[in-house]
Amino acid sequence: MNRREALKTIWLAIVAAGASSFLSFEDLLAADANPDKRINLVWLHASSCSGCSCSFLNIEDVSVLDILTKFANLIFHPDLSLATGDQVTEILDKVSASGMPYLFVLEGGIPTAMPHACLMADQPITYWVEKLGSKAIASVGIGTCAVFGGVTNMKGMETGSIPLDAFYARKGITQAVINLPNCPLKPEHLVYTLLHYAYKGSFPSTDSKGRPLKFFDRTVHEHCIFYADFQEKHYARYIGDAGCLLKLGCQGPLTRNDCLIIGHNGNTNICIRAGHPCIGCASEHFPRRVMFHIASDPQGVSEDS
Amino acid sequence: MEARRVVVDPMTRIEGHLRFETRMEDGIVVDSKCSGDMYRGIEKALIGYDARTAQQITQRVCGVCPYAHADAAARALESAMGLQINENGRLLRNLTVGAYHLYDYLLHFYALCALDFIDVTAITSYQGRDAGMLQLKDWIGQELNSGKVFPASPFLPRYQAAYSDDRELNLTVIQNYLGALPMMSTLHKMVAIFGAKAPHPVAIEAGGVTTMPTIERLARYRQWLGQAGQFIRNNFQNDVLGVAKAFPGYFKEGRGYGNLLSYPWLIDRNGKDHSFTGGATINGQYAALDIGKITEDHTYAYYTAKPDKTIKPLQLNNLHPLGYEEYLSEKKKEGGKYTWTRAPRYGNEIMEVGPVARVVNTYFAKSNPALTQRVDKYNNALGLTIHDYNSVMGRHLSRLVSALVTLEKLEEQLEQVVPEESGFIERSLPRNASGVGLTEATRGALAHWIETDDKGLIKNYEMIVPTTWNMSPRDASGRPGAVEKMLIGTRVADADNPMELARIIRSTDPCMACSVH
Repeated sequence: MNRREALKTIWLAIVAAGASSFLSFEDLLAADANPDKRINLVWLHASSCSGCSCSFLNIEDVSVLDILTKFANLIFHPDLSLATGDQVTEILDKVSASGMPYLFVLEGGIPTAMPHACLMADQPITYWVEKLGSKAIASVGIGTCAVFGGVTNMKGMETGSIPLDAFYARKGITQAVINLPNCPLKPEHLVYTLLHYAYKGSFPSTDSKGRPLKFFDRTVHEHCIFYADFQEKHYARYIGDAGCLLKLGCQGPLTRNDCLIIGHNGNTNICIRAGHPCIGCASEHFPRRVMFHIASDPQGVSEDS
Repeated sequence: MEARRVVVDPMTRIEGHLRFETRMEDGIVVDSKCSGDMYRGIEKALIGYDARTAQQITQRVCGVCPYAHADAAARALESAMGLQINENGRLLRNLTVGAYHLYDYLLHFYALCALDFIDVTAITSYQGRDAGMLQLKDWIGQELNSGKVFPASPFLPRYQAAYSDDRELNLTVIQNYLGALPMMSTLHKMVAIFGAKAPHPVAIEAGGVTTMPTIERLARYRQWLGQAGQFIRNNFQNDVLGVAKAFPGYFKEGRGYGNLLSYPWLIDRNGKDHSFTGGATINGQYAALDIGKITEDHTYAYYTAKPDKTIKPLQLNNLHPLGYEEYLSEKKKEGGKYTWTRAPRYGNEIMEVGPVARVVNTYFAKSNPALTQRVDKYNNALGLTIHDYNSVMGRHLSRLVSALVTLEKLEEQLEQVVPEESGFIERSLPRNASGVGLTEATRGALAHWIETDDKGLIKNYEMIVPTTWNMSPRDASGRPGAVEKMLIGTRVADADNPMELARIIRSTDPCMACSVH
């Protein structure tokens, strides 16, 4: 396979990722001839579970190898970098002092009430986020923890975990932050956002919560396969029953997401298609105290709402 | 005598935030401490939540092994309900969790560990025609000549160490490193067929699996299982054995106490036997499992002290993390607390959990002839005994054994699923009840305990997870934890590039987010 043929397969992947609207085949050829066009990335884990990193590796439209070699310089990633120990702190110190343009990607919430609840190299993660975030050209909050707090600030938590944009507001850091909620992050969302930034120099347009409209303009409910059942008030009464899952605690009406369009894992499945009500994992209400089967859930959605 | 302190922080290519510290004398580790550096507090935050919520929340303890937490939480609630799930439910859960195990073995071996043994720069001598390899070769070549501040990241910088000098092995493993990524994605898709998505499969609930096993879903699973099976039986097996043959000394390195704990895993269709028998091997003697022997100590963990050092699961309904001031003062103390990870014990013994425990306990229990045969075959081929499994390479080999045994079971059980028949039984929430759910994550024994109140809400919740066992700190008796023990006695060639220690740590597949939760 020659270079042009190889690029053609990448091009098809870009079309599949929905990024062809801002990236032409000629752009791709030019990018290939000019490796400096690649966007620098620095990726950190705050209070996280690595689920977003694992999900990122599932990307199918564009291979991980293409991302590493054609679109991005992954300067640091906690699960992929061979660097360890002092080598990591040297990289991070150097990158923040270098003046080089880079995007800062953060996975996980930021514990502010207990700074000792998340450390890296014996420094609270707040130190690293401030240091690297303030020097970045822009930042990407990935996953529901980094965007809304998610599990890291569920009711009952003591660590005072806050999302990336709230942390920046507190520290007076004013650069652009784009938010990609979902538990875990959908890899297509990140790759699209990165390609957009690499080729347009800006993030795609977002809603008031910093989420790309392309993915989050509609609720799960609005695209639901059971929408007709909902309109006809035909509700499932138990798991396995036919009909709309609203009375089993479905969070589709409260959750903005494109699950019913691109699904999960290369559209292999969707929670609702698996017979399970939406648990709202991309929403600001996640996780709720009652998620399943209890109609009296005060945070839930009633039939009339 | 030359003494030296070596600190590695952060430890990368593991899950989460780990720091370890060793003291060396004349190049040999004489003391070590492992610190879990992240605390969230999910376990006690669950109090007051609907009991069914635990499954969705506890799996978010970890994005690498969420399947195991979903399974353990569902089992704990089923145990509180007194519910036996049906045959399809058992099979669908195995197909979901089993595919995740296979994913996790590939992730661990290729993405996290292989490049500690394999020389990634060997790619520059590649002469073949594989498009991905050529792309990587061109890229590394350009990067190394680019004069960039960070050339060839994330593959450089790395520890200078004795990597494999076998060109063929290096190139094959690099090629399979690239091939493993799409295969992992395929295995995640297999999880999603019945689990709805991966990571964080939602469809495993108390009662079974909510997804209907349609003919179409079963057919897709079969197709992908075929591809995964090919990769695991050929590429993965050859690569693990190749690395094991290239680094035979690592069957002697990273030896722990040799006390091994595992829970029964991979149940048969009828709910009677398991592919991997649980149990405990202590001082070479295997005995059946007794979960009543489990206690937890937090003498050296960042929580306020309690008068009773050995607390049984569910005995605590609150766990007070140290405030910032107390924490800082502890850090300054010589011999003070040093980690968020607590110290679980089994009959007061320090146990290693994980693939070695799973394989060795099953081998000693003589309960699975297929496993016994496979272990004997590898032992003959590599000149090993079962006692050599207590080592770095023994852990990698045990993952291969686990993967192959699991793969065969999934192939068998896929054909036992009755199409179009629900694998889910619904029950109301149990009130004033308690239960325990046991399972195996790829990285070892996992248990969840639950207690509910008169409304069916969570009254108390406890998780004792694989990495808590392995990354345990000292307990009141002062003995080093399992991984701490593995580091002690290791000869390190170059203290500035302590690759020997990194290989030991990574062989235990630490999952720090799980260990503290």
